[in-house]
Amino acid sequence: MNVQDYIASGMIENYVLGLASAEERAEFERMSAAHSEVRAARESFELILEKQLQDQAITPPANLKSKVFAEIEVEKDSQQEKIIPIRRILRVKANWARSVAAAAIILLAGSTILNFYFFTQYKKYINKYDELVASQNQMAITNKTLETKLSDYASAIGHMKDTGMALVKMVDVPTSPSPGCSTTVYWDTRSKDVYLLVNNLPKPASDKQYQLWAMVDGKPVDAGIFDMNEGLPFMKMKNIPEAQAFAITLEKKGGSSVPTMESMYVMGKVAG
Amino acid sequence: MAITATYNEQELVSALRERDNRAYSYLYDNYSGALYSIILQIVQNTELANDILQEVFINIWRKIETYDANRGRIFTWMLNIARNASIDALRSKSYQNSMKNQELGENVNNIGSRSTQTNTDHIGLKKTLAKLKPEHRVLIELAYFKGYTHEEIAQIEDIPLGTVKTRIRNALLQLKEYLQ
Repeated sequence: MNVQDYIASGMIENYVLGLASAEERAEFERMSAAHSEVRAARESFELILEKQLQDQAITPPANLKSKVFAEIEVEKDSQQEKIIPIRRILRVKANWARSVAAAAIILLAGSTILNFYFFTQYKKYINKYDELVASQNQMAITNKTLETKLSDYASAIGHMKDTGMALVKMVDVPTSPSPGCSTTVYWDTRSKDVYLLVNNLPKPASDKQYQLWAMVDGKPVDAGIFDMNEGLPFMKMKNIPEAQAFAITLEKKGGSSVPTMESMYVMGKVAG
Repeated sequence: MAITATYNEQELVSALRERDNRAYSYLYDNYSGALYSIILQIVQNTELANDILQEVFINIWRKIETYDANRGRIFTWMLNIARNASIDALRSKSYQNSMKNQELGENVNNIGSRSTQTNTDHIGLKKTLAKLKPEHRVLIELAYFKGYTHEEIAQIEDIPLGTVKTRIRNALLQLKEYLQ
């Protein structure tokens, strides 16, 4: 096809109006690049078309232009963003971080609830544990007391059974403030240790204490003070190497160097 | 005081490529009417045409780098953007659905109330189209205003593809005569 035939074929109009196929477009572009007549014919038709359409122009609504330019401003902003893609990356990362943060908050909330639950349970068991420890301690104390008492009784029984013990039965003297009272001294004949068993003595006033005396050659020797409220059946007193008799007087608290004869309760002679 | 710039084609294109607001303003002032006219003739709906015209100018702004002066004038390039956008809108599913709904509404109460629907047969290219022979006119109508490919037209009209191509080119030559 020669150039003039091509120009007259309607292919130019086809191309300009956008109706040509891809193949036809490629062919047209080859022809127009090669032949200035084709380009001139194209431009001529374009001008006719443009003039016609300009003559038939319909003015769009007045507000459209400002809308278009508002959108272009938005486009400008987003294009600037493209120039700095790191901002977008950051935003994506921020979104990712946001999801992670949300998950973390949910986990934290769950963990807080669990922690609270476990803490409550822990407090409950700590209280129970404390109660158990306290009652355990109480039992241990009781046990210790019982053990001590038991060993005291055992040693008392041991002393009583001991055939090396000299028994000194002490009974109320005629001037005794408390008639009918009695005590017993167990005197170890080997070691000369003195043990006292209170059979029956009234409880003294709080500012007074009983005192045991050993009568050595007619002279009273202090053999120790004792309390009754300890409840010990068998009290170890001072060591007395030699004595003919034992007596108990009520003295002021802490004892006295000489016995108060008016307040002698009991006395007993060592069997000779 | 308004500064009215006038540009020759080359100056206009290079100013557009620099994203010069004044050049876009000039472009809008000088070409929006012609483009709006062709959009309206294709979609025949004022609201839709308004939306498309906006979209077309945004696209011109976005795609100005792809404009190649060797392939034609800037107006031709813009005209094709406008036509393509209009045909895409016509073929979009949402538009098709809205048309169905409108037709249904009309059938029910029979008060043709297409408020934004515009009959464009008496304006622009379509007015010129009316001067063509019917067998030419229908092909231009289908190809240019409805956007069917030559193959689709061959099927619709049940005529050979070669005949479609020849007839369309002849119709266009005829149209050019009427336009001059």
